[in-house]
Amino acid sequence: MNWLRLARLLVIGLVVMLPGVSFAGGSPSPAGAKEAEVSEPTGDQPPAVSAAVPLPYVYTEWRHFTTEDGLPDDHIFAVKVDGPRVWIGTENGLACYDKRTGQMRVWKEEDGLPWRVITAIDVDKRTGDVWLGLFGGGLARFSGGRFEHFHQLNSGLVNDVVYGVAVENDHVWAATTAGASRLNLKTGQWTIFTEKNAPMEEIWNYAVHYRDGKVHLAVWGSGVLEFDVATERWQVYLDPDREMEIDLYRDDGIIHVITTGANYVDGILWVSSYFGLSRYDGRHWRGFYAHETGMPSDFTNSLAARSGQECYFAHDKGLGVVAHFDSDTYVSYTRDPKTLRGKAAVFRGGRKLLELDLERTIPHNFCISASVDETDVWVGTSKGVGWGIGKGYYAGVRENPEWLVEYNRRSQAQQLSAAVVPQATATE
Amino acid sequence: MGNVPWIVLFVGMIFQADWIGTGTPDPLRPWLPPFQLTEEMKKVLEEINSVNAYQVPQIPPKRVAVYAYTPVDVVPFRHVEPQRRFFLDQMEYWGAGRAKPEPEDIKTVKIGFIGPLIPTVSVAVGGQSHNEERMGIKMLQGAKLAIEEANERGGYWRRGIPFELVIRNDNGLWGSTGNEVIDLAYREKVWAILGSIDGANTHILIRVGLKIELPMMSSGDTDPTYIETNIPWAFRCISDDRQMAYLLVDYLYRKLDLKRVAILRSSNRYGRFGVREVVDGSRRMGRPIVVEMAYPVGCHDFSIQLERIRQSKADAVVHWGNPDDGARALNQMRAMGMNQPFFACDRCLAPEFVEIAGPNAEGVICASPWNPDREDPILLAFKERFRARFNEDPETYAAHAYDGMNMLLWAIQVAGLNRAKIRDVLAYRPDPFVGVTGPIPLSAVNDDDGEVYLAKFIGGKWHYYSRAELGLPPREALIRPALEQTAARQSAEAAGR
Repeated sequence: MNWLRLARLLVIGLVVMLPGVSFAGGSPSPAGAKEAEVSEPTGDQPPAVSAAVPLPYVYTEWRHFTTEDGLPDDHIFAVKVDGPRVWIGTENGLACYDKRTGQMRVWKEEDGLPWRVITAIDVDKRTGDVWLGLFGGGLARFSGGRFEHFHQLNSGLVNDVVYGVAVENDHVWAATTAGASRLNLKTGQWTIFTEKNAPMEEIWNYAVHYRDGKVHLAVWGSGVLEFDVATERWQVYLDPDREMEIDLYRDDGIIHVITTGANYVDGILWVSSYFGLSRYDGRHWRGFYAHETGMPSDFTNSLAARSGQECYFAHDKGLGVVAHFDSDTYVSYTRDPKTLRGKAAVFRGGRKLLELDLERTIPHNFCISASVDETDVWVGTSKGVGWGIGKGYYAGVRENPEWLVEYNRRSQAQQLSAAVVPQATATE
Repeated sequence: MGNVPWIVLFVGMIFQADWIGTGTPDPLRPWLPPFQLTEEMKKVLEEINSVNAYQVPQIPPKRVAVYAYTPVDVVPFRHVEPQRRFFLDQMEYWGAGRAKPEPEDIKTVKIGFIGPLIPTVSVAVGGQSHNEERMGIKMLQGAKLAIEEANERGGYWRRGIPFELVIRNDNGLWGSTGNEVIDLAYREKVWAILGSIDGANTHILIRVGLKIELPMMSSGDTDPTYIETNIPWAFRCISDDRQMAYLLVDYLYRKLDLKRVAILRSSNRYGRFGVREVVDGSRRMGRPIVVEMAYPVGCHDFSIQLERIRQSKADAVVHWGNPDDGARALNQMRAMGMNQPFFACDRCLAPEFVEIAGPNAEGVICASPWNPDREDPILLAFKERFRARFNEDPETYAAHAYDGMNMLLWAIQVAGLNRAKIRDVLAYRPDPFVGVTGPIPLSAVNDDDGEVYLAKFIGGKWHYYSRAELGLPPREALIRPALEQTAARQSAEAAGR
């Protein structure tokens, strides 16, 4: 054993003996930064973990946005990161936050927004056009400061209740409550997909996503439908047991046919539902349940995948992350309803490794939407938007990561002033 | 006069601890103010009112060991312990809605109604939107009567303002129900919605309701999958096709010992999902359905379907579809010399079925979500009031809509004008709501878990029989093995820990 290792263990010993303190958003505050590891947990306390345990990136710095910060409404249905711009769809208007300037712009019906409730947003990377799914108002294109409105009576949109929108090359797809519609931007031609021309057992489309030549539709009661853009062929993913009240076998397919989201990244398909989560690598399925992973809940409103290894899930009880699939590592972000402080917990193999007490994480536990870019995560909730600032973000897992070192350093500083011991540690 | 609502509010606040409303209680309409909250309900209400936008009421959720009283021998894949069982734990709402204050500027308390009232004809979809308007109008009658009676008793007791029913037609075309719900929620600002009958439209309704966070009560959709979506905003006050199918299957096989049962159903969602538990239950009890034939809604010639059923040598036929279709199929069956017993879904209890079937109706057995012949003073008084109002007897859809609307009105009177709290008091009410259709015990998934019946048409009248009267084992006995298995498993898991 070298001196470094010995010193590390000494630190761990100190931490285990003393109550914790944690910080977030740059300002330390007294609370419990809890240790973690591979010993059995006692009650709610996580076991101890050493700094040598590879850990995923944990967002310890968050910002919140509500109506006090200029949002038109706190009930957030959609959020979409577009470079430095973040588009936010609320129950009463559209907002755009500019990360560079910190300015929030807002559009409401009186500003030309065709309908107040925005449930889906996608951005055409080539033109910068913003496509909005309007809940009961159809579809809108926001281009050059002007809204263009598509609805059942002036277009081929199959229904005005739009849950999802996705730009696919020269097409825009809309997932509606009565089927999917596809607009060809070159020709203006609309195509409607329902049970009549697509393998939809039900037509209640809930989400649509495009990437790498495949469009995925998450359909309530019809699982996930995959449309190959090159061949125009459909592939259907259903729950193999075909029963609503059970999930028969582990990892045999999607967990349930009532799906709410599907993202395809790096050849991996991620699926969310109100019953749990699924991942498909083209050969093997994997199901994820809260009681096995430590994620906040099985009830999942939507998802945002960053890679084939990492996906963010908007649950009704917090934000869950499959942080690194290969190492079976998860992160759960919640907000304490009493103290309103944030909590982040890291789990591996069903065990809690680490729990951080933070000044803030997500603004509300009821998460409805999420969006990620290379480093940051944005979460739309029942009461505001949360921005997880990914300073020093890394993919996968690392030993003694910078965020943990920084967390402990700042906690210690806080502790010195508060005469309470801080720190979180990690070892294996 | 302008101060009257404030006086009512003040009086209401004084009595809020124990009583909802003032005046003399009506024992035949116990849901109307004034009524006293039970101690348990008071605790629930206190907890609901104590939380802020970030908190969730700490009320123990309902938990059941067996979903929907599924008899052990019709449980799917019963020889395998599934990876996960759903619908056993009560769904919760974790959003911020409870913190929204009651609005000050309203003159009425609006409640939405969506039902099939007027069929529309569309060239685009090639025909009539539905033929369920008979049921929809009955549903509207029941809902209207409930609203009128509540208003006669002072309306919304906290403000002394009337309830208002905002009526929308569910025409079943192109998902138009979704647009109607949006309109009701955002333009009309309703506090809850009653609807609908068709399974597809009702699914659309609750999907929107979940997003908007609006309580939805279904009094006419018996599609089992309605509540199998895990939506905490969806409620149902009528027993579903799953429950009715379980009783029917029990009767067909445990009681009558039939061996070869055929199915004739409508080729729509109602027929497809309605027979699912009959098909599965038959197979699981070792008597697989010999043939399942579908017909287009409004069919007048069933010869193809019936010929196939005849060839299958079925010894009984189960029909799932609308009453006119069912009656025409029955008549054609008898005309073809097919004298097998005819069983049907609850829709065929409608007078239309008997009118069209004529003497062929004799001996037909239908599933029923309730027993309208109960000698229950609450029901008898309701029948009188209904006859006085509409000059006809209430039937299934009217009675259940009356109950469903009264459940919503009761919840509004108790919770106040907050959609999340209206949801909460319905979901967490400790005792069953007792309506004109009988007690309505809500399951963990907010579904009516009450008893269902079989009705036999004898001597020109439907006669209703409970499970006990049919000589069938009680539901509790049929799920006991599953309960014991669950207890043993939990005990083994506890020992392992």
